[in-house]
Amino acid sequence: MTDPTQITRILFQDFDPKAIYLFYAFGYLAIAIFIHGCYVQVRKYRRGKPDESWNQIFKRFWDMVKTMASHRTLVRRDKKAGRAHGLIFFGFVLLFIGTATITLEYDILEPLFGVRFWYGNFYLLFSLVLDVAGFGVIAGLLYMMYRRKWMHLPKLDYKRVDRQVGDPDYDRSGYRREDWAFLWSFILIGVTGFILEATRLVWLSETPSVWDHRFWSPVGAILAHLMAGLGMTAEGAGAFRPYLWWFHGLLSLTFIACIPYTKIKHIFTAAASLMFKSPLVGRRLPIIPVEQANAGYKTITDLTWKNLLHLDACTKCGRCQEACPANAVGAPLSPRDVILSLREFANKTLNAKELPAEAELDIHGKSPGQVMQETLWSCRTCLACVEICPVAVEHVPIIVQMRRNLVEAGEMEPILEKTLQTIHKTGNSFGESKRKRAAWAKDLPFEIKDARAEPVDILWFVGDYASFDPRNQKVTRSFAKLLNKAGINFGLLFEAEMNAGNDIRRVGEEGLYEHLATSNIGTLQSCDFKSIVTTDPHSFNTIRNEYPDFGGEFEINHYTTLVKQLIESGQITLKKKLDYRVTFHDPCHLGRYNKGYDAPRDVIKLLGCELVEMGRNRDNSFCCGAGGGRIWIPDPVGIEKPSANRMREAGQIEGLDVFIVSCPKDLTMFEDALKTSGFEGQFVVRELIELIDECIEYDVVDITGVAEVISTSE
Amino acid sequence: MKILVAVKQTAALEEDFEIRDDGLDVDEDFMMYDLNEWDDFSLEEAMKIKESSDTEVEVVVVSVGPDRVDESLRKCLAKGADRAVRVWDGAAEGSDAIVVGRILTEVIKKEAPDMVFAGVQSSDQAYASTGISVASYLNWPHAAVVADLQYKPGDNKAVIRRELEGGMLQEVEINCPAVLTIQLGINKPRYASLRGIKQAATKPIEEVSLADIGLSANDVGAAQSMSRVRRMYIPEKGRATMIEGTISEQAAKIIQIINEFKGA
Repeated sequence: MTDPTQITRILFQDFDPKAIYLFYAFGYLAIAIFIHGCYVQVRKYRRGKPDESWNQIFKRFWDMVKTMASHRTLVRRDKKAGRAHGLIFFGFVLLFIGTATITLEYDILEPLFGVRFWYGNFYLLFSLVLDVAGFGVIAGLLYMMYRRKWMHLPKLDYKRVDRQVGDPDYDRSGYRREDWAFLWSFILIGVTGFILEATRLVWLSETPSVWDHRFWSPVGAILAHLMAGLGMTAEGAGAFRPYLWWFHGLLSLTFIACIPYTKIKHIFTAAASLMFKSPLVGRRLPIIPVEQANAGYKTITDLTWKNLLHLDACTKCGRCQEACPANAVGAPLSPRDVILSLREFANKTLNAKELPAEAELDIHGKSPGQVMQETLWSCRTCLACVEICPVAVEHVPIIVQMRRNLVEAGEMEPILEKTLQTIHKTGNSFGESKRKRAAWAKDLPFEIKDARAEPVDILWFVGDYASFDPRNQKVTRSFAKLLNKAGINFGLLFEAEMNAGNDIRRVGEEGLYEHLATSNIGTLQSCDFKSIVTTDPHSFNTIRNEYPDFGGEFEINHYTTLVKQLIESGQITLKKKLDYRVTFHDPCHLGRYNKGYDAPRDVIKLLGCELVEMGRNRDNSFCCGAGGGRIWIPDPVGIEKPSANRMREAGQIEGLDVFIVSCPKDLTMFEDALKTSGFEGQFVVRELIELIDECIEYDVVDITGVAEVISTSE
Repeated sequence: MKILVAVKQTAALEEDFEIRDDGLDVDEDFMMYDLNEWDDFSLEEAMKIKESSDTEVEVVVVSVGPDRVDESLRKCLAKGADRAVRVWDGAAEGSDAIVVGRILTEVIKKEAPDMVFAGVQSSDQAYASTGISVASYLNWPHAAVVADLQYKPGDNKAVIRRELEGGMLQEVEINCPAVLTIQLGINKPRYASLRGIKQAATKPIEEVSLADIGLSANDVGAAQSMSRVRRMYIPEKGRATMIEGTISEQAAKIIQIINEFKGA
């Protein structure tokens, strides 16, 4: 029986002490370079504006640990890549803990206190775990190499959609080289580590305390047998070992030194990005502090430290680009490119000791690192990029902040400018008189209460499209009949209702947004009601998530939630079942923005419809193209509209009868798109309310007469 | 160097509107007020000169009108005007374009600008005479419907292009100071963001009374005007009918209509 303390690995075995000193010198140098790099990065972040995200730091930390441990965000929509990353990540973590354990004993506990623990069974288990970890890392890296070399994924092609061939930052081949340098150096560290382990085994094959336990490091043992089988002798191994040792050691130290300077830094930046993510990202856009003179982001130092950190967290995985509706139709926008451009800009301007002159910090324009107006205006603020980003990069708030600056400078489509002026003048985007806001209700056989004049249970915030668009007015009337049929005590704001401001805020006209929001909040606060309902997901989002920042705390539901309750509680009885084959389009502002995925689906099922999902559904729903104020800007001719792209997707569903939407803007966008899609006549676009309407039997009695009798008797 | 821009707050009508009980104007409830469209362009032209000049240029906007006009003046301040002046007196109600020109002239005499810009016309009344009457009162050179302007602060001449009928342009050299009425499309007016308008609320609007400029209630108002509104009304709409039937039936119908018109 061998003495268990003999079962270990002797560090620097047979090394000249000078060589050991030399190695430590290299080690300290690597650490110094690493620390300097970290310092430069932190100094860069500190040049950004303040951000409040330091609250609840422990909860944030714990959430980050959970996200990283589960790899939840990494396996989404790309399981294989996520799992391969898991192998690399967990392998790396174990190898790091392993190395730290050795340091703990060899450099701290043993020299200071004479304590040893890295021997015997612990050592053997340690060897096994680290062998498995190292194997996992190599396997993961091999998959990543395969993926880059042979899978030809568009998202891993860094060529830019917003630049021309020949522009200095068009193909971004530097990033590709960096990817490969990273993969090769990392895999070389792993492979040389195993060969080194095997070489040691061959070298010490006569030492029973080593050789007898070789299969506790299985990968090394197999390699050792292989090398011995190929004719490597113990002496040969002993002679070869120092060279390999130094190669492996120096490569590893170089790797550590490079962390803050290369993509490897995502180890830290991605973790920090996850930790500081905003729970309401995009749903609640940042307010402009009162003392701030200029709106939005003009220079790189207008970004907050958190924004700058997000820029560095991006791992270029391209999932945002894949999900982006603007990108899908060939608009000059890739959310990733916006982030990378700004990152390059920040590294160019903020890494130096002295901050360059203000004029050199302008992030708007066409030079390398700057973001073009066309790019910013292509964004639909649908949050698809933010939703899928595995490291919680917050693209949309940065884009909107940059738009705020464009709006302030009047750099926008003339037609958008006109719309904003119209909204300022009339309170709605249709340029209609305030008085006509409730004109849709004129022909209803009952009167709708004025919530400003009498208390109601439910205040219905109708929104612009549902109020003024003739096609949507039909739906609006149906919903009014439904509420009336269910016996709900509801009312409207009539001409006091203004555009809720959601899209105006996303355009970047913050002043106009504040004007609309505070005006609506004032009106709402003067009314007596229990909760708000709306058929418009855009109004829903801003009232729910953004009005609280302006003092308006209201309970608000999207109609799908209310209708589901009404049907389930029996307040609404469905007189017939529909046997349509349908699909459902999640509106961005109901689905991704507010996680309202289930209520509309539940209602659809209650109606008896057969629901067939499109490939892109729920959190991956594909924006109709109207968000972020794009409904007011005509799409360029010659390229496909996002709504047309969506119609093609729906058209693939065999025997589809109805394409169901639950958003007024969706109804407009998709009915238009259907006409040119080639599917007209095969299926129709309907608001969910219209299907519900089909299932409700309204009394055929002339209610107008009754209502008149009631009103005259009062 | 100072440029004075005369502006007006004009009214746009809602789709359905009612005439006031006295029959002289539309009921104010149905009007939506905004800065006159032409004035966006004349202010922008002044701003362009200011921004491209090496010397200090002051842009002053002046309007004649009641309190509500402040909102439009604030928009001008948001776009970068240095000062805003508003002249009003209840007695000025009903003044025609010439009287408004007279009032503006007195302000201009006090301000002593190097150039005066006005819009070609207002979008609501469309007399196109305010600017020109100012030139007449001041006895300054003037040019109307200016579609292009080449002028630098300190120049004693400006070269302008005037828009004529039939797509013609007329290039004119004009002595300065001068009064120019600016046509739509001469430039691209900037957008006044709501934040800008809010921030402009801190810039004061100088309120000037008639007495301040040496006028009195007896100089203004409908009574002093050379023209007065007698009636405002909606003309009866013409009728159009589609005549159906065969050719001979249609011909017979036309003959019948003609005879009815002839009173037969």
